[in-house]
Formats: sequence, structure tokens, C-alpha cells
Amino acid sequence: MSETMNALQKKAEAMLTADHCLSCTSCMSSCPVMEASKEYRGPKLVGPAHNRMRFSQEDVEESLDFCSNCKSCDRACPSGVEVSTLNMLHRAEYYRTHPHSQRDDMLAHGERMAKRVRMLPFGATFANLGMKIGKCFGIFGSMGIAGERDMPAYASSSFLSMFKGISQKPSEKKVVFYPGCFINENDPEVGVAFVKVMQKNGYEVLVDEKFNCCGSPLVVTGYLDEALEHAHNNVARILEWKKKGIPVVACCTSCSLMLKKEYGELFDEEEMKEAATNVYDAFEFLAMLEEEGKLNTEFKSLSQSLLYHVPCHLKSQGFGTPAARILGKIPGVKVELADAGCCGMSGNYGFKQDKYEISMKIGEELFGRIKTANADKVISDCGTCRLQIQHGGHVEPCHPIEILEKAY
Amino acid sequence: MSVCYKLFVYFKEHKYYGKQKLSGKGEWMMEKATVVVIGGGATGVGILRDLAMRGVDVLLVEKCDLVNGASSRYHGLLHSGGRYAVKDQEAARECIIENQILRKIGKSCVEATGGMFVRLDIDDPDYEPQWVKGCADSGIKAEPITLEQAFRLEPLLSKHVVSAYLVPDAAIDGFRMSWQNVESAKRYGGRFKTYREVVDVLQQNGEIQGVTVRNTITGEIEEIACDILVNAAGGWAGKVAALAGLEVGVQPDKGTLLAFNQRITSHVVNRLHKSSDGDIFVPHGSITILGTSSMSIPDPEDTSTSREEVENLLSIGEKTFENLRDYRMLRAFAGSRPLYMPPGGASGRGASRGFAIVDHGKDDGLKGMMTIVGGKFTTYRLMAEKISNQICEKLNVKEPCRTAEEPLVPEVAENDKKEARKYFPAYGTDLAATRLGPERFSRVVEDLKSHPEKRELVCECENVTLAEVEEIAKELSSFQINDIRRRTRIGMGTCQANFCALRSAAVFAKCGRDKGAKDSLGQMKQFLQGRWKGIRPVLVGRTLREIEMTRALYELSFHVDGGKKA
Ligand SMILES: Cc1cc2nc3c(=O)[nH]c(=O)nc-3n(C[C@H](O)[C@H](O)[C@H](O)COP(=O)(O)OP(=O)(O)OC[C@H]3O[C@@H](n4cnc5c(N)ncnc54)[C@H](O)[C@@H]3O)c2cc1C
Ligand code: SF4
Ligand code: SF4
Repeated sequence: MSETMNALQKKAEAMLTADHCLSCTSCMSSCPVMEASKEYRGPKLVGPAHNRMRFSQEDVEESLDFCSNCKSCDRACPSGVEVSTLNMLHRAEYYRTHPHSQRDDMLAHGERMAKRVRMLPFGATFANLGMKIGKCFGIFGSMGIAGERDMPAYASSSFLSMFKGISQKPSEKKVVFYPGCFINENDPEVGVAFVKVMQKNGYEVLVDEKFNCCGSPLVVTGYLDEALEHAHNNVARILEWKKKGIPVVACCTSCSLMLKKEYGELFDEEEMKEAATNVYDAFEFLAMLEEEGKLNTEFKSLSQSLLYHVPCHLKSQGFGTPAARILGKIPGVKVELADAGCCGMSGNYGFKQDKYEISMKIGEELFGRIKTANADKVISDCGTCRLQIQHGGHVEPCHPIEILEKAY
Repeated sequence: MSVCYKLFVYFKEHKYYGKQKLSGKGEWMMEKATVVVIGGGATGVGILRDLAMRGVDVLLVEKCDLVNGASSRYHGLLHSGGRYAVKDQEAARECIIENQILRKIGKSCVEATGGMFVRLDIDDPDYEPQWVKGCADSGIKAEPITLEQAFRLEPLLSKHVVSAYLVPDAAIDGFRMSWQNVESAKRYGGRFKTYREVVDVLQQNGEIQGVTVRNTITGEIEEIACDILVNAAGGWAGKVAALAGLEVGVQPDKGTLLAFNQRITSHVVNRLHKSSDGDIFVPHGSITILGTSSMSIPDPEDTSTSREEVENLLSIGEKTFENLRDYRMLRAFAGSRPLYMPPGGASGRGASRGFAIVDHGKDDGLKGMMTIVGGKFTTYRLMAEKISNQICEKLNVKEPCRTAEEPLVPEVAENDKKEARKYFPAYGTDLAATRLGPERFSRVVEDLKSHPEKRELVCECENVTLAEVEEIAKELSSFQINDIRRRTRIGMGTCQANFCALRSAAVFAKCGRDKGAKDSLGQMKQFLQGRWKGIRPVLVGRTLREIEMTRALYELSFHVDGGKKA
């Protein structure tokens, strides 16, 4: 192990938590990837167990590549070991001495790509066309991207440009909305719904164009240094808003998890932990309003049965499932939890050709649930979960905030 | 008259026939060796190897498994001599010379971690120049480094460090080192028997005849004839001498050590002050050992440790590494230094850590008996050379000592390790190679290759494959799971045998040669009890949770104690 890495690793919080492992194996029995594939040696071994043996030689655990960073292991661990973060640190270490594939480069840098596309007139249309053609000619396949999937299409205009067109009632009470890449580029309607919901609750929504990608796609593909740059930028922005007493709220659970928790686990800087206290997931924030009796509950009747797939990265934030409770208050709405584990998508994981099969196998339970539940709508807070639900469950899901917006 | 015949006569006269068998020619057959060495610690195995290499017919007997005494219940520091640079420069010089030799001949048991001496703001500043001078005078390279360098090399060091030096300390694995000495000796015809306790010394007319040994597993008694008997029984040397009616002043001096679950340091880290308790950290493979203490005890068998000793070590250790208590302790263990007490000497840390060779022929009129005692693990080879020189003189053997030149064991070739990598778990190849040596390693690799299911881990914490455990379980010297543990490291990691106890008991029942191996339940319990002994004094925090899980698994789920009888 190189000296600098040694120092870096000793600093990372996750490294210290590795020492808390009791070797109880509960993470192994909760890992969806392990269940789907014999090739993955599992969180305990690849994380804390190997971590203590790394002194012995320069080596790589090939099967580390199978970890999807779904964080089921962290949630299962009775000792607070940040297993998935350990895995991501080890993955990053691997890429310090090994080249990245073109595919990983592309999957990690969606934000860069989107910026280029948005600079061109009709860029989104052409890019979407390009992706269709790319898929037809098997170009993505040859890059290692699952040919079975459609790449998420660019929306004709991004959330940030749509936002400019929304006229809001000004208010003393403000939140900053952190859209994240997926909502900004592919699913701006979720952001629009969020703004409307907040307005109904007497809040004015601000945006901060200086935010960049939370870094989640970078972390899972091993671009840790870049992720750290993003973290520094975003944390500085969040603290800036904190000074003004304005919370930052996100609708994408992977973004909010990254901003709230993963920065600290990966890089262990004090400011990150401080910034974390000013970040909320949308429904976490609404639940706080509800608790204070300040949530606007003047709902219209909707008469809809909903099947709620709770994203792994929401579970990892540990605030329960307030979306189910709040939506359940809408007259005529019935919310049922899918309770089918991980969907198998895990961000860009399911887009990798060599992980496609595993991803679909993990999703089977959820797909089955969707079929038998026969709900009017499947809802999920995570953008890539929704892509998986669409692909494997053959339904058009939406974000719970979109349902709430309809109820006002 | 051959010794064998002399003994025959002796036994006939005493109507004592023991277990000897009649040979085809009608003569009494009795195991015989020119030299018998008592004690399978560092000193004993060193002598076994040295003499065997010079062509002497030598047999070692050990009452338990090898390194039952101080040679595994110790700190594992291959001293640079820095620790002795002020107080005992002769010892310091011996250390640095032997340190360099062992690095060369023991590549598979020495880990060249390097060492660091750090002075804290609470330590006496006047000691530092004395120490620097002492190192220079003893030939120990002590290189001053900046604090920035020190923190880069050891990020967890306390910010109270005010100066730091690098010295050539290293870590040495007592288990591997002793087995490798024995392996080397075997190549030259040296023999060894474990689980044989010397219970009597046979002498006639002021001359050594041999020893009576008891098989500590079966209780069987046998005699071994010899011309020269070497008492290398460490802390027990006084007791062994007493068997021959002699007196040797050995004061067992207990030291307690604390093992942590991971490498907290990459170097051996010593406090730069007057040597004291709990001031050295040695990174040992996957763990770190903090120690030690010093306490005179009556019986070298006493390897108990207490909560107070642990607390004492922690409170000193956390001066060097402030966050020490955040780290998970695995266990506490203790061993006894065999401190030689020349008649009327001081005891404890003040007693001599040098070694002594006593020729009882000269001193006590018992020809053929010698005792070697004291010293350090680091100087075991030198001690062995010195006494072997005297033995060879008696035997008129002219061969010079070659233990400083020839490597203990041949190393596994880099290419073979590379080839084998695909069959081992990650981070598992090199360690297996140093544990196994070329021959066993190639057998294990073959096994892993042709039986992919044997790539499964028996011990997940220390990364030990089923193939390796089977290989060692099959050896004739494996009588207990603990014997396999000392050679493979199963059960010595994070979970302290929680998972491998069950698995290894099954493997041992299948592959073990000794009939005791079939008693899986008994073997498993014994193995777990051994782990429990070291865990008990560190039963706090996460260690407590760990053991509760073990207890729940074995006592509740597996019901190993069988519950109350109706
Ligand atoms: C806590 C502690 C820490 C230490 N740290 C270090 C260190 O870091 N570096 C260093 O260089 N030195 C260190 N030492 C010193 C070193 O461990 C010892 O000097 C050395 O191991 C002694 O080896 P030995 O072979 O003489 O004795 P032992 O290793 O004790 O061997 C004696 C053997 O004789 C066997 N035996 C006893 N009676 C009989 C009998 N009747 N029949 C058959 N066999 C018998 C015993 O079972 C035992 O295996 C440390 C010692 C202690 C106690
Ligand atoms: S993050 Fe998910 S895939 Fe990775 S080890 Fe944990 S449970 Fe398994
Ligand atoms: S669940 Fe936690 S404590 Fe248990 S094995 Fe996994 S990492 Fe270790």
C-alpha cells in the first residue's frame, strides 16, 4: 500500500469503522448482489476482512467490481461499519493504478456530457437521436453498456431553464432546491412539482447554479479525486446557505445521501459534517413541517392506489418513509409498500453490460410485486429506480412529490 | 561400550524395562541421539538447527507444541538494539548484528517494517542525547526525521511527539521462525518430538545417560538415550535442572501484551525514554501488539492476564496513540522471560537480559549436561551458536557454524507466487507462501487448482483456504486444532475462531492423523477455550459483543454443552 494511500485511508472515517466489524456476516446475507451472483465474494470479505489484510501484498480483489453501492450492507450491519464506503474507497484505490474504461468515463461524467449537449441548439433532440442510433448500431454495446436498456433521454429543456419560467409567490420562508443531474437533465417535471408543493406550503424555492453534480456517479466508478472536488464545491455552497438560515432540499435520494452522509464517510472533513445538517430530502423536510403542524393538508381527493418502492438510498438516510404517510392522507389515495428489496439498478450499475443480468435478477422480486399489486401508479423517489421500474416492470412510475402536487 | 548397551545394562540392573522393544537381534532398542535438546522455544530450535547443520545427531523434545513458552508469548520485535542503547550496549550490539543476520536468513519470518523512536513532550529531554550517543556507539543507525515525516509515516501518532528517529527494528513471527528452524534442521537429519515432557534425567556415575519423557497426550512413558543433554527450557530451566538434582537460578518474569485487531502502525513504534512498561507497538501481520510489562512470578506456567494489566497497558499506550481506545482489542496474552539470576542478583527489569551457558560437567560434576538460559528472541541464533560451539568441542566435531549464512528455508519463487495468485483469495498468496514454504506451497496450489471448492476459506478473517488447513491438519505434528492454528493463523483474527472453530474441527476430523482428531466436539471446545482465555481480560465494548455472539452461536444455537441432564 502506498504511503499516501495509507495516510488517506487512515483518515477516512469508513476505515475506522472497518475495525468495528464483528464478522457477524449479517451484511453478507443482506447483499442483493451476492444473492444474485456467486461471483461476488460479499461485503464482509471484500470490505472489512480484506481491509486488514491489505498490508501483505499489492493485490486486487476483482470481485469488488460487483458492488453496486446500494448500501444494504451498511443498513444490515449491527456495528455501524460503513462497508459500502470502504468498498468505494478500495475501488478508487484500484483506479489510481489502473486505467478507466471509456464506458466508466461516460457513466461517471453525465454532467459534463449534459453541459456539452445543452450548449448546442437542439442539442437534446440530437443527443437523444444519437443515443437511439448508437443503440441500434450496437455502439453502446461495444462500449460495455447494456444494449437492452435505453439511455435516459434528455428533456427538451433542463430544470434550471424551466425554473426561470416559473413565477413564484415570494416568501420569507425559503429553501434552496438541489435538483441533481437526473432531475435537471432528464426528469425536470419532478423539480417543477417540488416548487409547486413548496409554494403551497408557503415557501419560496431558490436554486443555486453554482452547485454541481453531487459526485455519486464518480464515486461508484472510482473517480474519487474528482468527487472530492465536487464535494468541496457543494459543501461550501451548502454552508453558505446555512449561514443565511436557508436549508437545501433534494428530491433525488442518491444526491441527498451523498450530500448528507457519504461525503463525511469518504473524506471525513469537519465542514462536510456541518453541511450535512443543512440538507434534507424533500419528504423528510415535509415530514418536519407535518410534525410542527405546518404541512398544508388541504388535499383534493385523488382516488388512486399507489405501490411505493422505497429506494435503498432513502432507507439509508434513516428517516423512515414519510412519503407513504403523507400521501396516505390524501383522500382516496391508498399507499402500499412494495417491500421488495433493492430494484437492482443502483445508479449507473444496471447500465453496465456485464451487470445487466445481475441487475435484472435483483429486480425480479420488485417486478413481480408490480405485476400482482396492479396499482394505478408505482412511485419511487429515486430517478434510476424509476428507470428500472419502467424497464423491468413495464409501467410508467413517478416521484411521490408529483402525486402530492396533484393533490393540491 | 555404546551408550545404548550401557543403558541396557542399567535398566536390567534396575529391573526397569519401560517401553523399549526387542530388536531382531535380541538387543534392547531404544531411541537414541547424541544430543537431546529440551525445549522447543527459540533457543532450543536454534540449537537443533545449528547442530544438525554441523552433522551432529540431535533430537529436540518439547512438552507441548513448538513455541509453547516465551517464544510465541512475546512481543515479536526483532530488536535493532535501540531499546538497550543506553543501559546495555553489549546487548545492543548483539541485537543489531543478529537483526541484520535474521533479516537475511529469515526472509519468510521477518517483516522489515522498520522502527521509529518517538519522544513525547512528557518524556525526559536529557535522555535523548544519551540515547543518540548510545546508538552511535553500538553501531545502530538512528536517523532523525522531521515531525512532518513522522506523521506522514504514522498518521495516528499523538501530536505530543516532539522528536522522532528511524531505526532498523523489524517484526519477527515466532511461530514461523521456529517451524522454519525445525524444517531446516530436518533437512540435515535433525529430529524433533512435540508433546513429550522430560520428567526425569538419567545419569550414572556423574554422567548423563538420557532422559525419561512422558507423552503429554497419551501419558505413555519412554526413554531416550543421549551423550549430551541440553536444557533450553526457558522459564522452566530451573525445574528441568532440578530433575537432575541441580540448581539453576531462573526467575520467570511475566510480561503481558495486548493484541489489536488491525495494524495501527506500519513501523515498530517505541517511546524514546528510559525503558518502561507498555511503550512499544509492534505491527504483526494483520494485527498490532502493544506491550509489555514486567512482573516476577513463581511459575512459568502462569500465563494469566488481568483487567488491571490491560488497563495499565492502555493508559500508557494512549500516550503514544491518543485514539488507542477507539481500536478494537482482540486479546491479551502473557509469557515469562527466562531471566537468569546469577547467585544473589537483582530481579525484574533490572535483571540481566543477557544469556548464560552453564556447563554442569564443570560446575556441578554432571558430565554431558548443559543449561542455556536468558537472552532474547532476537539473539537466539547467537546463543545457539555459542553453546553449539561448546558441544562440538566436546564431541570433537570440527564443522563451523553456518546458521548465519544459510537461509532458514528456501523462499517460494516470485514467479510461482504470481502463477498461484489466481487460486488464492486476494491478499492471500504471499502470506500463504511464507507460512508454507516451497514444497507445501506447491502442494497446496496443486490442490487449489484441481479442487476449486478448496479455495473456500476456513478462516475468513486471516484469509486461510481449506487447502492450506488440510495440508497442515495432515501433518504428524498436528495433535490439536491449536497446532494447526499456530501454523496457519486460523482463529487469530477479528472473530477469534467464531466461524473457523466449527469448520476446522470438521477438517481436522477428516484429515488429522492422530486419533484424537476424531473427537470433533472436544477439539472444538478446547480450541474455543484457548481463544476465550485471551479474550476474557479485554471484555469491553466491541470485544464483549463479539464474544456474546460466539457464545450465542455455540452455546445456544449449537448447544455444544448439551444442556442440563434430566
Ligand atoms: C512478554 C515478553 C515479550 C518479549 N518480547 C521480546 C521481543 O520483542 N524481542 C525479543 O527478542 N525477545 C523478547 N522476549 C524475550 C524472548 O521471548 C525470550 O527470551 C525467548 O523467547 C526465550 O526463548 P527460550 O527458547 O529460551 O524459552 P521458551 O520459548 O520459553 O522455550 C522453552 C520451552 O521449553 C519447554 N519446556 C519446558 N519444560 C519442559 C520439559 N520438562 N520438557 C520438554 N519441554 C519443556 C516449554 O514448553 C517451552 O516451549 C520477550 C519475552 C516476554 C516474556
Ligand atoms: S453496497 Fe450493496 S452490493 Fe455493495 S456490498 Fe453492500 S449490499 Fe452488496
Ligand atoms: S454486518 Fe457489519 S459487523 Fe457484521 S460482518 Fe458485516 S460489516 Fe462486519
